[in-house]
Amino acid sequence: MTEVVFQPVGKRVTAQPGDSLLIAAQAGGVGISAVCGGLGICADCQVRVLQGAVSPLNDSERDRLSDADIAGGIRLACQAVIAGDGVIVVDIPAESLSAPQRSQVEGEEIPLPVEPAIRIHDLSAIPPSVDDLRGDWERVRWENERVRWENERAQGLTPSGWRITAPVLADLPGILRQHDWHARLITNESDAVRWLPPDGVPLGFAVDVGTTGLAAYLVDLQTGHTLGITGATNPQIVYGEDVMARLTLAVHDPEGRARLQTTILDGLNDLLHTVCDQAGAHSEDVVDVVAVGNTAMHHLLLGLPVEQLGAAPYVPAISSAVRTPARALGLDVAPGAWLYLPPNVAGFVGADHVAMLLATATPDRPGVTLSLDIGTNTEVTLNAHGRLWCCSTASGPAFEGAHIRDGMRAAGGAIERLMWQNNGLRWATINNLPPVGLCGSGILDAVAVLRGAGLISPTGAMRRGHPDIRREGHRSWYEIVPAHQAGHGRAVTISRADVNEVQLAKAAIRAGIKLLVERAGLSEQDIDRVIVAGAFGNYIDLANAVAIGLFPPLPPEHFHQVGNAAGIGAKRLLINAGERQRADALVRQLDYIELTNHPDFSDRFAQAVRLEPEPWE
Amino acid sequence: MSDNVLINQIREAVIDGQAKVAVAKVEEALAEGLNPEVILHDGLISAMTEVGQLFEDGEFFVPEMLIAARAMKGALELLKPLLVDQGVEPLGKIAIGTVKGDLHDIGKSLVAMMLEGAGFEVADLGVDVSPEKFIAEVKNGAQIVAMSALLTTTMPNMKTTIDAIVEAGLRSQTVIMVGGAPVTQAYAEQIGADGYASDASAAVRKAHELIGQ
Repeated sequence: MTEVVFQPVGKRVTAQPGDSLLIAAQAGGVGISAVCGGLGICADCQVRVLQGAVSPLNDSERDRLSDADIAGGIRLACQAVIAGDGVIVVDIPAESLSAPQRSQVEGEEIPLPVEPAIRIHDLSAIPPSVDDLRGDWERVRWENERVRWENERAQGLTPSGWRITAPVLADLPGILRQHDWHARLITNESDAVRWLPPDGVPLGFAVDVGTTGLAAYLVDLQTGHTLGITGATNPQIVYGEDVMARLTLAVHDPEGRARLQTTILDGLNDLLHTVCDQAGAHSEDVVDVVAVGNTAMHHLLLGLPVEQLGAAPYVPAISSAVRTPARALGLDVAPGAWLYLPPNVAGFVGADHVAMLLATATPDRPGVTLSLDIGTNTEVTLNAHGRLWCCSTASGPAFEGAHIRDGMRAAGGAIERLMWQNNGLRWATINNLPPVGLCGSGILDAVAVLRGAGLISPTGAMRRGHPDIRREGHRSWYEIVPAHQAGHGRAVTISRADVNEVQLAKAAIRAGIKLLVERAGLSEQDIDRVIVAGAFGNYIDLANAVAIGLFPPLPPEHFHQVGNAAGIGAKRLLINAGERQRADALVRQLDYIELTNHPDFSDRFAQAVRLEPEPWE
Repeated sequence: MSDNVLINQIREAVIDGQAKVAVAKVEEALAEGLNPEVILHDGLISAMTEVGQLFEDGEFFVPEMLIAARAMKGALELLKPLLVDQGVEPLGKIAIGTVKGDLHDIGKSLVAMMLEGAGFEVADLGVDVSPEKFIAEVKNGAQIVAMSALLTTTMPNMKTTIDAIVEAGLRSQTVIMVGGAPVTQAYAEQIGADGYASDASAAVRKAHELIGQ
């Protein structure tokens, strides 16, 4: 038995010799960043072993770590294996911690009538007597049969057609007797979902399951009002930051899939209890649940096999909408509540993008509308005069701060805004803490500002001979924050290699936009409006995004930053069941274009790497 | 460096990634009666060798290499029919593709362009390439099979392809190169490949080395 102490978090974890330090950290819920999922490739999980016996440095580590790192005692947590009993003390540098990020839950909302998938029935019954020995269930059904018959016959929803399961039924006798033989029944189609007191409020829970972040909403299903709202980091992140790392774990580790499912369900229950506490409500009164996510998050939440998602042609287990008992999955909601997930489109374009399109009314807009949700994968939809095309483009995690030397997620101390003022750079950090790194919007600003000042060329090279560009051998970089002003005593910099990552990310997105527009027989200048969703998209400086060529050069009023539209879309699917039909119709309308084998993708990508508003020849 | 001003302009246009200039200068050079083979060697191949060197030195990154390779490719299209007419032989023929199940294109295409820019004949089979397609190209005269995989989930398909080439009785006449982010020298050896390259420039060097030129 070995005890591993993780500093500075101060967490003590019991582990077995033979486990890697990363496995020990994951088992103890210590968030060490590991983009590759522990394969020894990404070198994110750098730690320092201060005390205790671990395996010697291996080839993967020698390949990935610099000599200076090795001399400084840096190891990769995924490669360093516990070698014996006793206590191991591990120090996790700040940049290796997968810090909780500022979650994005707010978004613009378009009004919608309240017509949820559940129905509310206010029922009453004649008390039993020695002459009337019917059961409680038959009693309420029979009493209400005649009343209900007339208005609900058309939908086949008469009480005689209701079905009830034992866990739902269990609440009926108590509620009837406590409330003078009155009760409120919630049904979903013909299924009884939950008994409430006569004035009980039926609640809905909507959640956007992002690869990186979760956003959750508690809704009053009678009024449509939002009663609670919260966000968190997706707890699966300890198993790998990108989708592929998690799919690999689910495929290769026999228990991986179950572990990932349990992890996300625990995370969702935490959010559920948080929003219920905000509203002073009980989670068992949540009678309907909607979850949206990309195809991988969708499968991992439902516990579906993902082998077929890990390799081309990336076929999901199901494309159409899913309706499944929520309690059976492990959500702490009403005993008969259903979990609804909207349909997936194709490839990695999942239900979250469908929700985003619904929330932004993208399919209904006149003219030419471009809607994008920027993340590790960026989904793009073009509505060209009523015809809808969409694609997914592998923009990579640069805009989430990964693969950038001083990059970090949008947590305290991250530089989120940069500008050139009075011949110098000025910066703003999240929570006004001393700067320790750059988050996505800050990285984009840094490239745009240095490009604007002529310190970076259109191809991304740093200007030779300029006093502010530092060089050491062939490494070149610009110092944004000197060491003495930084929160961790190290300079915050942006290097040629970082600019490279930004170029590759933005080229993937711009090439996707270009190919959709070309497919529609249009030019980028024909776009009437650009709807930018997602956490990163909400915080970026649009002028800078245009300056480096991430977006086409359109007038500023053409751009709309709408926040977490996927989360808002999930809420709409809860409030109005018609949105579910619209989701089905939308998916049939969307024409998915696979970019990776598109004959022009390489060419458009090669042009789009230029840091110019109009990179096209 | 060539003594010819136009050839040097072609060379510089390619290195700077100015596709239109490169094409215009090649047209001009042809109109002046310069030998297409000289334009190829002293203009395009020389430029791409320099680009590869700048990349290895850490001076160029992938974007500059992509931009330069795209300029080279535009100019090469002009020369190709003329070189065939003249009977100019390529260095060798390479079949390249991303393995079955994998749709990643950019890295593989860059390697393909760099190989082409070095004077090889390249059959780019695209993405999601089955072992059968690679085998058909070997039967069609390819001396080198170059495979890429970007995912740990598709990496094993490199081994599947090698096994199929062995099965088809073509292993002795085929040189096999592998690459891609999760691939390592150790993995290449483990699956029985002849060579591994970590990037596009290294791939060119490896191809030269493997077919002994």
